[in-house]
Amino acid sequence: MRKILFGIFIVGLAAQGCTNVKENVYDKLAANQFYSTPAGADDALATVYGKISGTWSSNYAGRDNCWYDLNSFAADEQVIPHRNTGDWQLDFAQLYLHTELPSLGIIDNTWNWAYETIYSANLAVTQLTAAKADPSKIAEAKVMRDWIYYLLIDDFGDVPFYTDNNVNPSSIVQTKRATIYNFLVTDLKANVDLLSTTRGGTYYGRFNKWAGYMVLAKLYLNAGVYTGTPDWADALAACNVVASGGFTLHPAAANSASLLGNSYFDLFGDVCPNDETILAEYLTENVVSGNIYAIRSLDSPNGTALIGFDGWNGTIIPGDFYDKYAANDIRKLQFLVGPQAGGSIYTETVSASIIAPGAAPDDGIRDVKFFPVAPSDASGESNDFPIYRYADVLLMQAECNIRLGNVGAAAPFLNQVRERAGLSDIAAPTLQNVYDERGFELNMEGHRRQDMIRFGTFLLPHGVAPNYSVPASPSYMLLFPIPTAAINADPSLKQNPGYQ
Amino acid sequence: MPGSVKPILNPYSMKKVYLFKYGLTVLLLICAITVFAQKSAFTGKVVDEANQPLPGATVHIKGTDKSTVTDANGKFSFPSSNQSAIAVTITFIGYDLMERVITANEPVNIQLVPNQKSLSEVVVVGYSTVKKTDLTGAVTNLTTKDFNPGAVTNPLQLLDGKAAGVNVTSNGSEPGVAPTIRIRGLSSLEGGNDPLVVVDGIQGNMDLLNQVPPSEIASVDILKDASATAVYGSRGAPGVIIVTTKKTAAGKTSIEYTENTSLDVIARKLKELDAAQWSAEANALGVDVSANHGSNTDWFDLLTQNGVTQNHSLAFGGGANEFSYRASLTAIDQTGIVINTSYRKYIGSIVATQKALDDRLTLTMNLNSGINDATYEPNGVGNAAYSSDLISQAYISRPTDPVYNTNGTYYTDPNVFQYTNPYAVAETVKNNVNTNNMFGSLKADLDIYKGLSAGWFGSWRKRDDNNGYFLPAASQVTTAVEYNGIANISNANTDEKLMDIDLSYKHDFGKSHFDALALYEWQAQTYNGSFEQMRDFRSDVTTYNALQLGNIADYQSGDISSYKNDRRLISFVGQVHYSYDNKYLLTASFRRDGSTVFGIDNKWANFPSAAFAWRLDQENFMKDQHTVSSLKLRVGYGITGNQQGISPQNSIALVGLNPTSPSVYFGGQLIPNYYYTQNSNPDLKWETKKQANLGLDFGFFNDRLTGTVDVYTANTDNLLFNYTVPVEGPFLVTNEFANVGSLQDRGLELSLSYAVIRTKTTTLTLAGNASFMQSKVLSLGGDIDGYNIPTNYVGWGGGGNGYLVVGKPVGTILILKHTGVDSQGIETVEGESGGGVDQSAQSKYRYDEGQELPKYTYAFTPSFTYKNFDASMVWRGSGGNEIYDGVQAQLSLLENIGKSNVLQSAVPLGIHSSPFNSDEWLQNGDYLRFENLSFGYRFNFAENKFISGLRVSVIGQNLAIITKYKGLDPEVDLSGDSGSGQDYGTYPRTRTFSAGLNVILK
Repeated sequence: MRKILFGIFIVGLAAQGCTNVKENVYDKLAANQFYSTPAGADDALATVYGKISGTWSSNYAGRDNCWYDLNSFAADEQVIPHRNTGDWQLDFAQLYLHTELPSLGIIDNTWNWAYETIYSANLAVTQLTAAKADPSKIAEAKVMRDWIYYLLIDDFGDVPFYTDNNVNPSSIVQTKRATIYNFLVTDLKANVDLLSTTRGGTYYGRFNKWAGYMVLAKLYLNAGVYTGTPDWADALAACNVVASGGFTLHPAAANSASLLGNSYFDLFGDVCPNDETILAEYLTENVVSGNIYAIRSLDSPNGTALIGFDGWNGTIIPGDFYDKYAANDIRKLQFLVGPQAGGSIYTETVSASIIAPGAAPDDGIRDVKFFPVAPSDASGESNDFPIYRYADVLLMQAECNIRLGNVGAAAPFLNQVRERAGLSDIAAPTLQNVYDERGFELNMEGHRRQDMIRFGTFLLPHGVAPNYSVPASPSYMLLFPIPTAAINADPSLKQNPGYQ
Repeated sequence: MPGSVKPILNPYSMKKVYLFKYGLTVLLLICAITVFAQKSAFTGKVVDEANQPLPGATVHIKGTDKSTVTDANGKFSFPSSNQSAIAVTITFIGYDLMERVITANEPVNIQLVPNQKSLSEVVVVGYSTVKKTDLTGAVTNLTTKDFNPGAVTNPLQLLDGKAAGVNVTSNGSEPGVAPTIRIRGLSSLEGGNDPLVVVDGIQGNMDLLNQVPPSEIASVDILKDASATAVYGSRGAPGVIIVTTKKTAAGKTSIEYTENTSLDVIARKLKELDAAQWSAEANALGVDVSANHGSNTDWFDLLTQNGVTQNHSLAFGGGANEFSYRASLTAIDQTGIVINTSYRKYIGSIVATQKALDDRLTLTMNLNSGINDATYEPNGVGNAAYSSDLISQAYISRPTDPVYNTNGTYYTDPNVFQYTNPYAVAETVKNNVNTNNMFGSLKADLDIYKGLSAGWFGSWRKRDDNNGYFLPAASQVTTAVEYNGIANISNANTDEKLMDIDLSYKHDFGKSHFDALALYEWQAQTYNGSFEQMRDFRSDVTTYNALQLGNIADYQSGDISSYKNDRRLISFVGQVHYSYDNKYLLTASFRRDGSTVFGIDNKWANFPSAAFAWRLDQENFMKDQHTVSSLKLRVGYGITGNQQGISPQNSIALVGLNPTSPSVYFGGQLIPNYYYTQNSNPDLKWETKKQANLGLDFGFFNDRLTGTVDVYTANTDNLLFNYTVPVEGPFLVTNEFANVGSLQDRGLELSLSYAVIRTKTTTLTLAGNASFMQSKVLSLGGDIDGYNIPTNYVGWGGGGNGYLVVGKPVGTILILKHTGVDSQGIETVEGESGGGVDQSAQSKYRYDEGQELPKYTYAFTPSFTYKNFDASMVWRGSGGNEIYDGVQAQLSLLENIGKSNVLQSAVPLGIHSSPFNSDEWLQNGDYLRFENLSFGYRFNFAENKFISGLRVSVIGQNLAIITKYKGLDPEVDLSGDSGSGQDYGTYPRTRTFSAGLNVILK
């Protein structure tokens, strides 16, 4: 009896596959198989672009609380005041007033976004190399990585630097800004000529040769800030290569079919036009992130009247920035001030401190440079974002020429931009003229902080007293603090001097 | 009872006999019938506390060797003698000894009183049972007489306050939302702290428990220490709840109907400004008159009502000697106190037992089928995440807003971002969940030869959830207006199978008793489901019932999804109980588990345990004293595991679509955005909990005073946590689920019961329990995949002020110190400069202000009976914890008044705005709740032809609370999860008044 039962017991166990604990996978893809095909390698490259457009709290531009907000609100061109109705956190006003602390979420988000993107780019380089992909694709991944490192050293100075994911994190050390600069210049020079020369089409929203040179030009342009030694000649040379790509300024003409009634604003519409755009960020609301820059500015009834969705009543344009525009500047169409559709009345002034008790609900000038295009909803629109465009190159060429002493050569570059905006020429432009023009032309596009630092205005008092004036800032503020969370995770990181 | 039945006294069926109180009585009864003649002069009837006949009670004539046992109707008789009266003692397992004098020819009715400590009862410990006196581990045994009475919709409510170290918390009274239970605090952070539930051998999670009708539960055994739970290996660490349902003993038939109806009212309300007060205050603060819409609306009142809860249960059963069955049908119908919330639960169950092969084989089959229909309050309907549930929306809504526009549509103010019309949401949003639940099991026990027996057990459980959600544009919720209605259906299916094969052997040699078990267990769980969503509906009539009527052009990525995964657990178990001379008891167990969800390098795990108990009261040196009536010392040690928190495929690197941006524009077109979703962790494994327990069970003065003290210490190593890792080296994403770190639990538990009065008509028992516990983080972070990942100061509830800090209790509160308000009415805190302060976790301005989990819990449960009348109370409380009152924080800032209502207390406080979450909103969480008060009366129908018992009762629940907490209720989320110790507004808690009826038919 006992034997029989034991027999049954053992047979029973065997029939059940009694000790099999191998895992079944039904609904997921194992990473080691996925990226080992050529199609997977392309996906690895696409993933990097996916990181760039990202989404809330993790994006280059379009949504909020990341790189764009950090670099725009720290400058003098826009701010989100705290409202006396209790709306809006203080983060944006603190950045504008240069009172941000290392624990500010936007700083941490930018840092994490940058390193996640670098990780994806490193991964793409590895996967593409392993898949023996077209050299232009490998170069594309490397240039994207270089671009993110450029953004990082621009904001933070000395940062952790690595180009191979398969290393021990303890070997990844905080590297001098100048050292990274040198690496980036070398790496870009080795790769930009491998990139495709195609503009638009399958390369819309991607790094082609011209976008690659644009990154190189930006590095050289700010070489003085990064290394202490300016390199205007190389900056000009790189700009000239970009210009050789055949770009022209998108025409500005009254046109009822265009946004805000002028074809100039096509540049900030659904698709960035190929004539002027060097690198665009593709955005479609709820499909690929989204663009919030107009709805974030409009108040609720005005938003409803203009686009059918309640505005967020956030961003305003500081009065001193707005006042510098000439009355006939077509770019001034982007600003809303005074009575508006829906009954809102935006005032140019702000009635009380933007920190406390906060601005009144309709205080402040609004901005619709990215006038909403469909599909849109209450959380954003579908306007693509111009990361780099030809007008920027022209102004860089003007700046380099002036800095190299060729004022005469500079004038045509500057004046092309001015003429399109409906302004008169300046025969002998100064650096101040170029700086101002960069503000007029490139506001709301994420360039302002870098420009203010290069032109030496970042630390000077600005804003409108008493409610949003920024006093003179200490020089350590030329760099953002390393985020507190990053230092907590890696205690070997050194905080930038001046921050606690 | 016909006399034709063959008497049976098979020693090998004793194991089953232990299981059923009535089983033994039947056997004795049959003996009795054959021994004694029928004629009598001294007659009587023995009944239990429910006035139910007690068959099989032993009636002994004092001073003689004559005794008898009661028959199926509880009746007994002695042949006539010369005496006019005799003195008898009546004994019955589980009841106090009773003495009576019986007069000849005067039938008596003798009601026995249940033991306060039923030493003879059996307790289910894992895969076997032991006598309560032979327990070696920390186990609490509760039976029907211990359960909380009243409007009970979930079995956990039966246990509330009744066991030391077992904490049942309900966060609000939303119909259909189960309370949480924690046994001895926390043993894990993210690995799961819900105990394993075993219902008549079927293992499962807390939902399985919810599927058992509360009125059908005969006993609940709670295994607390590792020496008791180690037999469940990698599922045993958070404790085990073993539920045994009622069975009908052979030879007895019964029909029982139980009913309870309650009225549920709101126990406490927040005091907010009414319309006039709001207008005055808004005016004083210079709020634009356009914000005042001139109505007078009490939103909270509008959204709430009195609720009604009904419980009906019909159970019947019967059987002959080799066969018995019990069937029950339970209906629970609850109307919530928030409008349009309800819960209905129907459960039918049948259990049948058949013996065969000369009673050597016993087959037991169990079938349970349940339907749950719930209509929950809609969530996620506000624009701001912190206030998106309906009740919070009602708090924020201005009292001057109208409910309707003049055209009859629901009013909403487009200038207000903070809330949408909560009444519109409550009236128009559909959120229905239907759950079908079915489980069955078959158990076969075969007595092979002289103490050797074999068993087979198989169970299969299926659970199907179907959730329909419709957010119409009429709700005025922003996204619904934007998309002209959103509807979705989600389905989730669970399939759980289990099989056990066991061999057990029992033997007595000399003074030794030996009982061993070897068991193989196989478990498999499969989960699959889908989600479908459409937007833009022409009409609201079809709600979520016709998704095809939505507009396909509005499809968004994520609107359709499906999943499937499974897990298997394979185990080998050995367990030995050994006792010598009834004094020294030893239990040892060993379990080896293999699981599919563990990483490839760690598929198998071993879990040993041992416990020893010494019954000092059995020793000779204790014989000559009468103070100590029982005394037992227990020590135990065991290793248990926890794998609840590990999901299938948690250990391998995965690629999926990026959920937040599922598409990417590349190569001139939109393509799916694949990215890494999970890091690989081949070392992923169970958490290891090593626990030592020392306990003492005692009874004094003939067990008038009884009690238990336990102390324990436990370390959970290989702590599962979702660590933040740098996106560098081998890490693909910013977090990794890994076994690093450890947690320490220490505690003391005490329960006491004192029978102040113990007479045949009156009993008064004072009982209570208390437990002290502390869960401390010993280490976090460390070596993950060969890389040093320092981790500390991880945010953990407490309104953003709770943290996991190495060396401190779980959920340590580190908070900014409120110092007042400045001239502009802005809150100031210590260390502030220029309106800002470092608010990061390790900011030097955060100070340690205690912890978010209670340090102690206690309960006081007195009971009283007088003849047929009974009364009982439950008072329970906890303390030593702090709560961040997020509701008060949010409703106290005067700057919000233009777009929100505020508390009345906000006005004198005068804080205009605040950029901080300071200790101004942190409050002491101590409370003592008058949880239950019950009165019952039992009518005797001794001579009635149809009714054998009838009891009526009235019960009040949550009658009062003593606390300094200013929020709605201090019983917030205290589960120890990352949302603990904070109050952001929940479904209100009810105060309940109910009346109950219990009828037993003959």
